[in-house]
Amino acid sequence: MALQDICNFQSVFEDSLTTEYPAVPHGKKIASNYVSGLPFSNNKSLFHFYIPVAEYLDESPIQFGQISTVQNCSADSSEDPFLTSSTLPTCLPFASSQSVPLPFPMAHGTTTLAFMFQGGVLAAADTRSSCSGLVACPASQKILPIHSHLVGLTSGTSADCALWKRILARELRLYQLRHGRRLSTSGAAKLLSHMLHPFKGTELCVAATLCGWDGGEVDDGCDYHGGTETGPGSHGETTKNQMTEQKNFVDSTNAKVSLAKDERFSFSEQCFIRKKMNLSGPSLFYVCSDGTRLRGMLFSVGSGSPYAYSILDQGVHWGLTVDEAKSIAREAVYRATYRDAYSGNCVDMYHITSKGWTRRNREDLKEEYYREKQRRKHEKTERRDVTFSD
Amino acid sequence: MFFSVKNPLCVGDDDGVERKIEFLHGTTTLAFKFQHGVIVAVDSRATAGSYIASQTVKKVIEINPYLLGTMAGGAADCSFWERLLARQCRIYELRNKERISVAAASKLLANMVYQYKGMGLSMGTMVCGWDKRGPGLYYVDSEGNRVCGDLFAVGSGSMYAYGVMDSGVRHDLTVEEACELGRRAIYQATYRDAYSGGQVNLYHVHSEGWTRISQDDVLVLHHQYKDQA
Repeated sequence: MALQDICNFQSVFEDSLTTEYPAVPHGKKIASNYVSGLPFSNNKSLFHFYIPVAEYLDESPIQFGQISTVQNCSADSSEDPFLTSSTLPTCLPFASSQSVPLPFPMAHGTTTLAFMFQGGVLAAADTRSSCSGLVACPASQKILPIHSHLVGLTSGTSADCALWKRILARELRLYQLRHGRRLSTSGAAKLLSHMLHPFKGTELCVAATLCGWDGGEVDDGCDYHGGTETGPGSHGETTKNQMTEQKNFVDSTNAKVSLAKDERFSFSEQCFIRKKMNLSGPSLFYVCSDGTRLRGMLFSVGSGSPYAYSILDQGVHWGLTVDEAKSIAREAVYRATYRDAYSGNCVDMYHITSKGWTRRNREDLKEEYYREKQRRKHEKTERRDVTFSD
Repeated sequence: MFFSVKNPLCVGDDDGVERKIEFLHGTTTLAFKFQHGVIVAVDSRATAGSYIASQTVKKVIEINPYLLGTMAGGAADCSFWERLLARQCRIYELRNKERISVAAASKLLANMVYQYKGMGLSMGTMVCGWDKRGPGLYYVDSEGNRVCGDLFAVGSGSMYAYGVMDSGVRHDLTVEEACELGRRAIYQATYRDAYSGGQVNLYHVHSEGWTRISQDDVLVLHHQYKDQA
């Protein structure tokens, strides 16, 4: 949402160091244009850090084949012919006249949305990957499951998003093995945000929405039985959520019971109540490569997000049933694909509950579009008949 | 094709003209046709950068008793040119002894501003009316676009309004439902767009001319919709 600065950003890393780099790891081409701004890019320090990710961190992100004006990226971009980018390479592409530019360049050609409600978290996204005017892939996956209870929606450069999602999945699994429990969504968001921080100011473009259900079970795969089993101390990273009362809020059935009590509160008061006792339950975070990390109840990211926002704002409230929530999410993505050129094709939907995520079959929105077109044509012919009969 | 919203904070332009005070670039105006005519809904906020200059701007210009024009862009440009259009329409009426059609009125406006294309005019307007062909809706802007259509939204909040309008608009709406749709669309846009707000002004153009339906403060609408949900 706020990555317009990245798109405007000039490449900072332009000084080229001598090619004294001794070992070429894994036969990768290292161009003479060397990144000097990244923390790991110093020749000597590279070999003191053993972080497996360091090999590609020392290459300028520009050389990953992103479209840029740097000349020597053309050699590297040929290595990766299938790289698709869902961002627009330059800024201000569609000002209809030079004298009236847009307030910000439209970035992340996509529509992804996620919201929380009493039945968990619902995430939906379109499936179009565009590359400045070309639909590079009409069937891409923008919702990537990270583990059984966490799903990430990606917006930005699809290569960056896929890579960072894999890195995050690995880090979360390592955490789980070391500590015997899953990291909460808040912790995962913080981890991702800190991992992306060294790239602030580069052309890295990742805007991820993490949707998950925080549990507290020790073993993977067993159902969570309630907030009473894990004390507040074991969730050090969720320190901002003080557990003031031992309320069972995890199972969706229980959630409905406590919801019934909460119905008399307004939506914002409900959020507050939920936050106070939130040690577990649905959780939604937005993380962006410019450093933003936000918790919320509803997010939509991408060029189609304004269209989706207005539909979601109308219909989303805590007490939705699962079917209602699915139909609102689908309508929101459909409306965004209807108006936004960079969103389209199909819609994916994931529903995250205490039992993990479930995926709905991918639905082609073309059918819906033609149905609606038929309906409008039908109305038009009706109108014509009416005016003739007047 | 949206009306491009200019960033009022950027000083200087390609043509060297510095614009310090911008009004009405942030706005949401919409209009759509349905069986009983045309619904026109607008917000009423004027911003100069991040300063809210006014919450009670009239963004609908009554050209004559059966033609309406909406304002988006520079307030001075919009109101000047539409008043000029009103004068031209009156002259046409007197010369030809019949009302001007919506298509002709929009064409007059488009031709007038086309002569100034590239000189920095900023105007995105919808000309709405009812003539002998039925309801008429044209979008005209200072780039020279003139497009006939069934549904338009113009301004920084237009994308939010499109989402609501697209999912609710049908040809066979009743007047009540259409008014409520227009009101809701503007409200949703003011909810998300910082540059739109104030009141929602609603007009309905029908075969006898236009009527002003309502003026609702956005905060009142907010409570009303919250209670409904």
